[in-house]
Amino acid sequence: LLQQLSLLLPALALALGPAAAGGSRRLPALEALGEAEELAEELWGAGLPGDLPELEPECRQLLADFAEGSAALTGCLGRSARPVRLCQACYRHYRHLLAQYGNIAHAVGNSSESHNCAKSILTSDRLQIVVTLSEFFNETWEAANCPNCLKNNSEGLSNSTVEFLDLFNKSLTCFEHNLQGQTIHLSPNNYTEVCKNCNETYKMLNDLYNNLQRMNRQGGESGHSAHLCIDVEDAMNITRKLWSRTFNCSVPCSDTVPVIAVSSFILFLPIVFYLSSFLHSKQKKRILILPKRIQSNASLVNIQEKYS
Amino acid sequence: QLTPSSFLRIGQLSNVDLNEDVHELETELPRQRPNEIPHNEKLLSLKYESLDYDNSENQLFLEEERRINHTAFRTVEIKRWVICAMIGILTGLVACFIDIVVENLAGLKYRVVKGNIDKFTEKGGLSFSLLLWATLNASVVMVGSVIVAFIEPVAAGSGIPQIKCYLNGVKIPHVVRLKTLVIKVCGVILSVVGGLAVGKEGPMIHSGAVIAAGISQGRSTSLKRDFKIFEYFRRDTEKRDFVSAGAAAGVSAAFGAPVGGVLFSLEEGASFWNQFLTWRIFFASMISTFTLNSVLSVYHGNAWDLSSPGLINFGRFDNEKMGYTIQEIPIFIFMGVVGGILGALFNALNYWLTMFRIRYIHRPCLQVVEAMLVAAVTATVGFVMIYCSRDCQPIQGSTVAYPLQLFCADGEYNSMATAFFNTPEKSVVNLFHDAPGSYNPMTLGMFTLMYFFLACWTYGLTVSAGVFIPSLLIGAAWGRLFGISLSYLTKGSIWADPGKYALMGAAAQLGGIVRMTLSLTVIMMEATGNVTYGFPIMLVLMTAKIVGDYFVEGLYDMHIQLQSVPFLHWEAPVTSHSLTAREVMSAPVTCLRRIERVGTVVDILSDTSSNHNGFPVVESNPGTTQVAGLRGLILRSQLIVLLKHKVFVERANLSLVQRRLKLKDFRDAYPRFPPIQSIHVSQDERECMIDLSEFMNPSPYTVPQEASLPRVFKLFRALGLRHLVVVNNRNEVVGMVTRKDLARYRLGKEGLEELSLAQT
Repeated sequence: LLQQLSLLLPALALALGPAAAGGSRRLPALEALGEAEELAEELWGAGLPGDLPELEPECRQLLADFAEGSAALTGCLGRSARPVRLCQACYRHYRHLLAQYGNIAHAVGNSSESHNCAKSILTSDRLQIVVTLSEFFNETWEAANCPNCLKNNSEGLSNSTVEFLDLFNKSLTCFEHNLQGQTIHLSPNNYTEVCKNCNETYKMLNDLYNNLQRMNRQGGESGHSAHLCIDVEDAMNITRKLWSRTFNCSVPCSDTVPVIAVSSFILFLPIVFYLSSFLHSKQKKRILILPKRIQSNASLVNIQEKYS
Repeated sequence: QLTPSSFLRIGQLSNVDLNEDVHELETELPRQRPNEIPHNEKLLSLKYESLDYDNSENQLFLEEERRINHTAFRTVEIKRWVICAMIGILTGLVACFIDIVVENLAGLKYRVVKGNIDKFTEKGGLSFSLLLWATLNASVVMVGSVIVAFIEPVAAGSGIPQIKCYLNGVKIPHVVRLKTLVIKVCGVILSVVGGLAVGKEGPMIHSGAVIAAGISQGRSTSLKRDFKIFEYFRRDTEKRDFVSAGAAAGVSAAFGAPVGGVLFSLEEGASFWNQFLTWRIFFASMISTFTLNSVLSVYHGNAWDLSSPGLINFGRFDNEKMGYTIQEIPIFIFMGVVGGILGALFNALNYWLTMFRIRYIHRPCLQVVEAMLVAAVTATVGFVMIYCSRDCQPIQGSTVAYPLQLFCADGEYNSMATAFFNTPEKSVVNLFHDAPGSYNPMTLGMFTLMYFFLACWTYGLTVSAGVFIPSLLIGAAWGRLFGISLSYLTKGSIWADPGKYALMGAAAQLGGIVRMTLSLTVIMMEATGNVTYGFPIMLVLMTAKIVGDYFVEGLYDMHIQLQSVPFLHWEAPVTSHSLTAREVMSAPVTCLRRIERVGTVVDILSDTSSNHNGFPVVESNPGTTQVAGLRGLILRSQLIVLLKHKVFVERANLSLVQRRLKLKDFRDAYPRFPPIQSIHVSQDERECMIDLSEFMNPSPYTVPQEASLPRVFKLFRALGLRHLVVVNNRNEVVGMVTRKDLARYRLGKEGLEELSLAQT
């Protein structure tokens, strides 16, 4: 252990030295840090004799793969955050990362039984950054409900999702197409053209979405939540917002007069009922029974009589 | 031998006697008392009798005890446990049944109405949706109300007042029959599906009690089946213990609160209590909630998960934001004050309404029509509120069961509809747990106002339904409103999570209405699953009770009073020490001699003007008419069994082979002893003699004439007596104190007041 420490210390000093020295010159300092890192890595790789507990090259490779994969996935997730395209855009990355994580978890180093990669990468320190990263990705994936719009083994988008996205693109194109001619000479509140022309597509999209939702709810097992995957949900949400907020297309007929008439009729009924039962129903009378008691004046004084 | 003419003479004589009696009394009282008065709260009904909690230690009883050896008593003890387990299981299953049926039927109704509304929102003609909703509600409620009003009126309401009375020692006719249970369960399902402002939790308590009473007897008189088991438990004392276990199991199934259930039974029937009984009741409660939990988890598809311990599940209150700090406690207490005031208002309004109902809406058809109207109006109010509301919330990420879009933009739902367009249980849980900002203050305010009046109007209808959930819902709505305004005032401080205030508001409102303390605290605590809420909930309930009691009494007590039930409270009225037993008792007492003529017994029993149930037995000296020393007490039911089996002195001498009467014969007749009219006694038999000494209770409780009312009361209440004989210093019977004699003294607004007896 001592030997190990003595080997470690120079490396640390090398890594920290330039950064601590050059606080004012930021960029060069960073560069220096990078250099130091590489240097330390080299030192680490070269300087350690083979018999010390060290990450084997295979494991190192696995780790590097995982790091690259997670970087790619993170980038993808970030890029497709708005409008949400997480599941469509990143399912390959995610599947890839899963495979890489699986490799680490199941890989066995060839040097000895006890020092396999899984153990040294996943569980040998407090932070366990690989596990944390992998958990984060899994949770995000689950929260986005992505498995819902992918095929069984996440090998591609499921048929219904593809169908939905097609329709979605179609309606967006329709919106665009119908808006193009109008933007110049019409006030922004008048979108009758869009409403008329794209109604059919929108209706189809809406129905398809509702169908998907219903199917999902029926087939939903106990563990699965009732939500569709975030891509579909968000696409529908955007369309609906455009349709009813921006274009103001869904104007429900408000028939206030009949509703008021019917409700006031119903609300009027109890009044009639109570009045009529008050006037016509015979009031229920109770027959008083005189108790058998020894009459004494003392008790009468005590008790205030109600019926006087 | 009596000739027919002389018999006629006797009959005439007794008639004449009766008339003279009344005449005398009228002339005695110069003040003209009204003979017929409108119903009011200061009456005691003759309809209600006491239960015999006092064991009659007659010779038969002693013989049986001698015959049964020690091991047999151990079997009896094991049987008690078996019965408690069965009570728990069956109560849990009934709760499951109610829950599943309500969920499916209500789901069907809401889907139909939602489909209709969605269809007409586009095309216009929403008034048809309104009509559809109102008609559906009214017709479902009509069925529910018809079965209650025409088949079993005692199943109306939540049943908690009735069970309270039963545990207090009042025999409410039909209250623990199988028929009542069936009507109750169906009635609850129909009234909840009918969209009334009611809950299904209160009736669970009644259902549990009926199940307990039924199982412990090992037979059903309604079905005319006798399973010949548990015959030992066929008397009031044993049945009462099981009924309290059943009530506890009911609470436990309703709220997932086993300890709360035990404490509920303790709070309501505490004068008859012991350690072993408590432990058994707790066992029944636990079994009940476990049964419900496992069956429901299988039904919901995740077996062995055990995540739904009660009919209503408040959801989990254990995240960071739901915690409370010490600074919030004054705010909670203030909410308790508000809850107390609102509860008192609720009770006062309901009092007037109930009085009106008793006086004017007493015909079953009218009651059904009223229930239908309330259902239709509830739907209409809900619809109008949803129609007028412009509070739209995004549908994404919310857990609304039946999102109604109506005039909201696509992808949004009407927030008012989550409150009105849902079963009340779900609405409560939504109010507790929906994210801050799911409701705007206007929606909550309108909802509270409307629901308050609807719930108040609904309670007391002839449908079986509880008041727990509506109270919680009202409270949760204004509590949430309070929380929102609080966070608005404090510029969005972290601790003002509206869900927490919704919970406290619900507790305050419920406490203000029903005024239960100990059991309700524990029930709420268990339903939230968070022990640290115990302290604020206790404070809130305490405050609500103190404030509410200042104005009017609790809803259940109020209804007990309006039903003219002779209910005995914990203590006699405080200013009643100057009253003595002599003034309280009824006199003169109809006594029987130890060896009495059968004719006399029959005449006394069939006298309709004096519906006595217990007769002091005095020393028989046939020559004198003087009242003699007290020897024992015999009950009407025992006399009827004796007459039915013709246990006459002459016949005993006649045929020695005739088997002796055993305690079993009395138990077999329990609890529906035949009326005296159904027992045929021939002219010859009227002359026979009947020896009561073997059957009477030889050591009845007595008090001297000079005992004060509180003293008499204490003895009577603590022992659960039915008859208390008042004797003079020569041990001669001078009077009799029964439940009605004690219950008529009450502390009113102007001091001690006396209630009148009335025929209802």
